[in-house]
Amino acid sequence: MKKKRILALLLAASMSLSLAACGGGDKPSDTPAGGTETPGGSTAAQTEITWWAFPTFGVDSGYEQEVANAFMAANPDVKVNIETIDFTAGPDKLTAAISAGTAPDVLFDAPGRIIEYGNAGYLVSLDDMMEALKGDLANENLVETCVGADGTAYMYPISSSPFYMGLNKEALEKADALQYVNLEGDRAWTTENFVKMCEALSAAGATTVPGIVYCGGQGGDQGTRALVNNLFSSSIVGEDGKWNIDANGVKALEQLKAMYDSGALDAGFDMAAADELQKFQQETAAMTFCWGTSNAKSYASEDFTQISVPFPSDDGKPELEYLVNGFCVFNNKDDAKIDAAKRLVAFICDDAEWGPKSVKQSGAFPVRTSFGNLYEGDKEMSLLASWIGYYGPYYNTRAGFATMRTEWWNMLQRVFQEGDVQAQVDIFNTNANA
Amino acid sequence: MGKTKGSKRSLVLQRRETVVSYLFLLPALFFFVGFVITPMVMGILTSFTDASLANGNQGTFIGLGNYARLFKDPVFWKSAWNTVVIVVVAVPTVTAFSLWVGSAIYKMRSGARSFFRCVFYLPVVTGSVAVVVVWKWMFDKYDGLFNYIINAFGGKGLAWTGDAKLALWCIILILFTTSIGQPIVLYVAALGNVDQSLVEAAQVDGATKLQVFWKIKWPQIMPTTLYVAVITTINSFQCFALIQLLTSGGPNYSTSTIMYYLYEIAFRTTKEFGYADAMGVILAIVIALFSALQFKVMNGGTTE
Repeated sequence: MKKKRILALLLAASMSLSLAACGGGDKPSDTPAGGTETPGGSTAAQTEITWWAFPTFGVDSGYEQEVANAFMAANPDVKVNIETIDFTAGPDKLTAAISAGTAPDVLFDAPGRIIEYGNAGYLVSLDDMMEALKGDLANENLVETCVGADGTAYMYPISSSPFYMGLNKEALEKADALQYVNLEGDRAWTTENFVKMCEALSAAGATTVPGIVYCGGQGGDQGTRALVNNLFSSSIVGEDGKWNIDANGVKALEQLKAMYDSGALDAGFDMAAADELQKFQQETAAMTFCWGTSNAKSYASEDFTQISVPFPSDDGKPELEYLVNGFCVFNNKDDAKIDAAKRLVAFICDDAEWGPKSVKQSGAFPVRTSFGNLYEGDKEMSLLASWIGYYGPYYNTRAGFATMRTEWWNMLQRVFQEGDVQAQVDIFNTNANA
Repeated sequence: MGKTKGSKRSLVLQRRETVVSYLFLLPALFFFVGFVITPMVMGILTSFTDASLANGNQGTFIGLGNYARLFKDPVFWKSAWNTVVIVVVAVPTVTAFSLWVGSAIYKMRSGARSFFRCVFYLPVVTGSVAVVVVWKWMFDKYDGLFNYIINAFGGKGLAWTGDAKLALWCIILILFTTSIGQPIVLYVAALGNVDQSLVEAAQVDGATKLQVFWKIKWPQIMPTTLYVAVITTINSFQCFALIQLLTSGGPNYSTSTIMYYLYEIAFRTTKEFGYADAMGVILAIVIALFSALQFKVMNGGTTE
């Protein structure tokens, strides 16, 4: 009996201790001194940093580990731990980690979130790195994608890629609608021809619906904004810097509403871009408004020919939305970690061997002119690379971007369901700036 | 003298056992305090501040500012209304349907009973993401099962989750199918434990089936009914994953609930933790009130 009790007490004590150990963390001071190896493979002399990576280098591609190994071989004083996060749960995980003070040291992401974190004071300035890069940037607009409200650079860019439209060639041929699409030169085309193409597709019933203006969430919402902004050359940011859909934007929305009413387009009230892309891949829709180099890989189909075209515009001069991939370094109050993190970022982006490799792995185009054309001999990729000249103003880093996004897709829903476009736009213009 | 010595020893023994019991409770208590009580208290405290991601989660005290703002927020009210609709519809239907199914299967042979329990319990053990993916396909406007059937009979397909008038009912339907499993299993067990001698005595006295159910069985399964009602109420109030995966609160906030709106504010749009916590506190108070009401009404109905 006594033995049993002693055993029970020991068990309870060990459980309590193990729980206490769980909260111990892995502070550098916990590692043995004198360069002794820890179970994780690091040494006390090493600086250990954590890199959280969205799957911009591909899902389970293993590239992150490959480049980190190369970096660690060149920088034996640093140990890099990699954690991959996905685009669905990753943003929430980041918010939770940042607010709990457990942010990673390095993050590979896009400007929208990075600049938000930078403006809130969670990141270190990368001004020194940006200053050296400025002269080599392929497009000077890229600078504004990397800086916060006070002009401090928080993101170090590596690659960029435009968002554009994808079309189903066979469906268009079936509806005799290919005549409205420009497949020559830079493939720029007009709003008038876009409307005619949709009407022809609808009349021929080549696919279940010609296209779907998805508005069920914020995923890939840059596609619908690019569509609206291009149709009649409008902008979502007013001259005073506030979020504002102008008269041309209203005209574009009225055009889309008219097309929705006539069946020349459909609206996806419960669909985000991923759902719409799936419908394009399954040939339910003949076009997608969220095509890009990455999605072209993820939603490829051997059943039909996918054509890439810029968004149609009234003047035939598109202004494309674009993705910029880049890194930021969190200010975790440890100079050694910050230094190691910055060295890792520079290695991935600038190293003569790994820089171009990383750009190609991201499926995008280099922001550095010195990298040249990484897709020599690939006509399609070279064409897409040339669209860098059509990059429009970048607004994802403006204050209130997150609020604007929610207002955007809700506004689209109301436009299609309730009509009175101007009234819905007024609500958007008010709420987005609230 | 001997008696006093004996009782003293038993007192010491009792004390020791108490200490050992507390030691055994310690790990669970550690988790409970660390992961339930502490976040709860922090949540309540944060609800009185303007903490957000933008100010580094270092909010200043603003008193009841967040609560006053809630009452002026039309999306909050719409979300609150949707939440109430879900609870008011889901709780009685889940409870009544589970009781009906439980009554129908509890007298079956053990093989058949297990089969039905498995069938109804399957959606509970299936991951919510998998469940939603299947429902999403069934509700699909273009290639979905429901519209395929409607079209086959010459009808015009519906937008289902894309229609502001239908979307909330689609959510309630999925919630219903994923909520009935556990109550059915509980009712089968509760009905099997009803004192048969009382049932037989009532039948001998000429009681009808309805009278037997209402006067004999119902009071005996009341604790189960209370448990089912409270659990379903809490689950309905906290319905989140379905909405996030299926509609993201749309179209036009027609499926947004307090739980979803709270998440949207905390993690998606403005990332205002203080404001989101205020919603959480309101939700907790409403759930507590509903549960208390259920306890009062249902306990009042027992024969005890």
